[in-house]
Amino acid sequence: MISHESIIKHVTGESVYINDLNFGESLLHGYVVYSKIAHGLIRSIKLEKAKSMTGVKAILSYREIPGVNQMGPVVHDEPCLAEKEVHFIGQAILLIAAESLDIAHEAAKSVQIEYEPLEVINNLEDAIKKNNRLHPPRKIECGNISSAFEAARNILEGTLFTGSQEHWYLETQTSLAVPGEGNEIILYSSTQHPSETQAIVAEVLGIPRKDVEVEVRRMGGAFGGKETQANHYAAWSALLAKATGRPVKIHLNRDDDQICTGKRHPFHSNYKAGFDKAGKITALDIELNSDAGSSTDLTMAILERAMFHVDNAYFIPNLRVIGNTWKTNHPSNTAFRGFGGPQGMAVIENIIDRIGRFLKKDALEIRKLNFYKSESENTTHFGQKVENNRLDLLFEQLVKSSDYHKRREQINRFNQFNPFVKKGLAMTPVKFGISFTTSFLNQAGALVNIYQDGTVQVNHGGTEMGQGLHTKILSIAASELGIDPEYIKVNATSTSKVPNTSATAASSGSDLNGMAVKYAIEKLKSRLIPIAVKLLDEENPNTKLVFINNQVYNPIQSDTKIKFIELVQKAYLSQISLSATGFYKTPDIFYDKAAAKGRPFHYFAFGMAVSEVLVDSLTGYVKVLRSDILHDVGNSLNEKIDRGQIEGGFIQGLGWMTTEDLKYDDKGNLLNHSPDTYKIPTIQDIPDDFRVEILKNAPNSNTIMQSKAVGEPPFMLALSVWLAIKDAISAVGDHKFEPAFSLPATNEVIISSIEKINELNKKSFHGLHQSEDHY
Amino acid sequence: MTMNSGQHTISFILDDEIVTIDFKQEKLSPTLTILNYLRSLPNHKGAKEGCAEGDCGACTVVVADLDEENKLVYRAINSCLVFLPILHGKQLITVENLAKKNGRDIDLHPVQQALVDMNGSQCGYCTPGIVMSMFALYKSSMNPSSEVIKDAMTGNLCRCTGYQPILNATELACSKNEPDQFSKNQNDIISKLKEIKSQKLTVQIITKTQKYFLPQTLADALALRKKFPKTIMVNGSTDIALKQTKKFERLKEIIDLSVIRELKCFSENKKEIILGSGLSLEAIKTKVSEKLPALGNMLSVFASKQIRNVATLGGNLGTASPIGDTIPLLIAYDSKIRLVKETSFREIPIEEFIKGHRETDLRNNELIHSVIIPLHQEHVVRFYKVSKRRDLDISTVSAGFRLEIINGTVSDICLAFGGMADRPKRAVLTEASLFQKVWNAENIEMAANILENEFSPISDARSGSGFRKMAAKNLLLKFYHETL
Repeated sequence: MISHESIIKHVTGESVYINDLNFGESLLHGYVVYSKIAHGLIRSIKLEKAKSMTGVKAILSYREIPGVNQMGPVVHDEPCLAEKEVHFIGQAILLIAAESLDIAHEAAKSVQIEYEPLEVINNLEDAIKKNNRLHPPRKIECGNISSAFEAARNILEGTLFTGSQEHWYLETQTSLAVPGEGNEIILYSSTQHPSETQAIVAEVLGIPRKDVEVEVRRMGGAFGGKETQANHYAAWSALLAKATGRPVKIHLNRDDDQICTGKRHPFHSNYKAGFDKAGKITALDIELNSDAGSSTDLTMAILERAMFHVDNAYFIPNLRVIGNTWKTNHPSNTAFRGFGGPQGMAVIENIIDRIGRFLKKDALEIRKLNFYKSESENTTHFGQKVENNRLDLLFEQLVKSSDYHKRREQINRFNQFNPFVKKGLAMTPVKFGISFTTSFLNQAGALVNIYQDGTVQVNHGGTEMGQGLHTKILSIAASELGIDPEYIKVNATSTSKVPNTSATAASSGSDLNGMAVKYAIEKLKSRLIPIAVKLLDEENPNTKLVFINNQVYNPIQSDTKIKFIELVQKAYLSQISLSATGFYKTPDIFYDKAAAKGRPFHYFAFGMAVSEVLVDSLTGYVKVLRSDILHDVGNSLNEKIDRGQIEGGFIQGLGWMTTEDLKYDDKGNLLNHSPDTYKIPTIQDIPDDFRVEILKNAPNSNTIMQSKAVGEPPFMLALSVWLAIKDAISAVGDHKFEPAFSLPATNEVIISSIEKINELNKKSFHGLHQSEDHY
Repeated sequence: MTMNSGQHTISFILDDEIVTIDFKQEKLSPTLTILNYLRSLPNHKGAKEGCAEGDCGACTVVVADLDEENKLVYRAINSCLVFLPILHGKQLITVENLAKKNGRDIDLHPVQQALVDMNGSQCGYCTPGIVMSMFALYKSSMNPSSEVIKDAMTGNLCRCTGYQPILNATELACSKNEPDQFSKNQNDIISKLKEIKSQKLTVQIITKTQKYFLPQTLADALALRKKFPKTIMVNGSTDIALKQTKKFERLKEIIDLSVIRELKCFSENKKEIILGSGLSLEAIKTKVSEKLPALGNMLSVFASKQIRNVATLGGNLGTASPIGDTIPLLIAYDSKIRLVKETSFREIPIEEFIKGHRETDLRNNELIHSVIIPLHQEHVVRFYKVSKRRDLDISTVSAGFRLEIINGTVSDICLAFGGMADRPKRAVLTEASLFQKVWNAENIEMAANILENEFSPISDARSGSGFRKMAAKNLLLKFYHETL
């Protein structure tokens, strides 16, 4: 198993990120002057002082945009630079290029902008109240919910708020634009989507895409935050580079990055669930309300994925989900690992947790009861059959390996004897659909070049953000060509090598690009085999040859072998092309948006987690004592890399669900705009005992080397921590009351929830009327 | 001391060579951070800026300094928050210095190799900082426990790996602790550092817009203080630097107190412990954890090791933050602060020293010399903190409590809070309600109700006002339950 292809460079500090590129004295530093108010009209802009500063090379407004003043990726509702109206704090108004960043800062400080403030819509509640819709609602429905509710023995209703999340990639948004001759421009951009970055840059510059080249060596983390938002910085640096004729770099400082860029969509979700006395859900009605921020960006696709995942792992015969999108005066919210999945799943997992408490059963039983089955009860609300269902398999193995039942008893005992610290335990499953739900995006290209010295360069459309895509591609290429990885280089991603690519997103990087690379190599091998057959003196031209250990031979007569390098040299002399492209599109997927039915996913990835926490009921501190994960990655392409995705995704999910909290003041200013007040997990926050296992002997069908995608699904396994916290809170009231709960479960949420339970406890102690279902 | 006798340059070791910097000649700002200096060099771009405020550790480098026995001590610091002159007489070690190259082969340092073996790096942006924190631990600790490792790595955020492989790698590397290239080379480094340090002159860097003084003795520092009364004083500069790195302000006049030995004094006897204002918080943590467990506990969740390695007690008191975790606890300890000027010194209770919101009683010819903590066996002193994240997070509410019970009744009580008012403050009404009362649940409940109305805290990025009140009340309850 090979290590991450860049890891030696990472640990020695040699890995080059855009901010490390050296362009010497010719480089200018770009800075974005942005709106300081959340909504209003621009009355006047004074920039004489800034213009006259030594070292200031350009100041641009929307008037200086040679092309289209637009950078909305799906819907054109995002101006590149604000014209008359601003819609959020952080919206770009002016661009400055200067000889140094200090000068650019000074210049920016001296710009005076006068605004006429307009009404600010500062949160979802506000937007809903004022009916500030982004787009018409969406609906997916199956069965008949009204008759199912009528027949339901028990009904629970409620609202769940799930919060936002800042990506907190270590490398902030960065782009460096280098003007060339004529129209030409090269962009070194920290983007997950080079082709779209190319398209947006071309549009704002008013030049054809052929003249724009976007290159991505690596990103210092992205997590969805550079799927569309990186386009902005590329467009702005390109405008400044064109205006000055010099290379221009924009590298955001942390505060500006947190203030200006979009985040995970907060959701306000209303639900109503009907179930029988055993806890089997018979009816479910969900309304998802998503906070889009100021424009569309990827909001509709994210909403759609949330709607596809409100069932999570459960068969619900009568289900209706309605999705609403609302506009607020915040930066446009955007892709973030899970892409709506976490928001959808949190709702159903919280419902199941409530059903358990309501029926005085362990929620574990309710989960098991409602899982999708194999033969029947296997079709989702959008009409896709859940094939190769591994839920029961994972459940049986994990319940056993995590010692769930014994620990449940121990925890009950612990809680009896400890009034101020409580333990909680929860298991949650994940079933996550793999494929872009916009079906045409499921395509990828590759270009593989073999050189005369037998070394190979692999180009593909995916980008490397740390997730190990290039490492997986390297393994695939090495295994397909039968040569050592050291002879292969996976190149920086470039729009000039592979055009018209999709974003590296939706966990699909290796599924799509891996196949494209494989197809390119198959083409090359089909050209090399006839030469090899001749060299090996095989009589039958259709003899099957193998490529193994840098050699090519007939496995039936393995005494004669030729070296790969010799074969390559011979092919060159025989005037055979040693360069080939590969193209892949995911088969058999479709989705009818109007009918809200189809088969949007190539397959599902499954996983399960059990977490145990300790909660200090007086300070609200949470300690994750142990987490056990069993996750399905098909046949792993690389266990080290996959394990890294599982652990990393889980901890990132843990952050979203516990300490990562974003607050705004009443003017729409983000208060948590640096790590001083925005708290992602540290090494102290990981489970004391963290047991991660990959499901063994679980090949996937019809995917690259029988593997499964792994980028996003583990994120949602952290719901086990969130619900374990709720279980611990619930223990304060001896599980008699449903805790008030939301996401993230910060110490503030925990303490106020406990305070409410204590009040209810007091009331019931004094013989007052109590409701078991007050929330 | 006379101003003319100072030297204008600083010298330190980088890449095994002595580097001398003449700020004026090279047109460099004396408040250039180590990070920006490194990144201006052609071959030192490993350290990264992730936040410019010491919260992420991507900029971590290691500084080796001679201790009192002339041995090298390796400390990880946040290079984004520390000004270049602090390196005077020290060795700067960066990620580029760890691996050895022999032609095309790379000989990785054990900490680097362990990270590779454990797959402890994904996007790689935090990795140079992670490597340097691991390296500092490798050089200072044999077979550390997972608690010690986590403590050393708290100041390094990683968004990709989930930390488990980093923890495993650090355990692996530090379990061997074989001599490395730095061990082999240390005599050479020590003699070079001694050579630089033999110059005992105040470093004074005067450029067109800035003055930076690095006095070597307390007397020199006090003379400078008198001459430039409006000067900003720094030691670790972890707080002051933010004005530059976050607000883009230029600091005009600075006296850097970081090399003054008198301010690093430490003494203890049966009656009291004296902590010099120039002692790093990490040094204090090591020295007092046994005698003053509450202070030890507080420091173990105070910022990160990189910050504690340079941040000082004097700095924390001088900035007089309304939260300032040391202050409520020092109030609870009934501590005094010793302030010096050229001719005399005075001692006042910490409580009187803090006069308002970020306002102290320090006069413009004085320096904070030390803090005197009395040792009372009969008292119980505890520290509590409520914050969103336990580690490397400024408190939402912090508390230093002191209690003495004689014959079942409260004979002495101090309830000092941070984060509840414009400055750290005692809950005097609540204290009064408990004084000479029985230490029981009923009285505590009554006191908690008083406490709830005693302060009117603000709502901010960290939390709401209501939550702060609830948290303060809960901390009193927690104290009660732990002192039953």
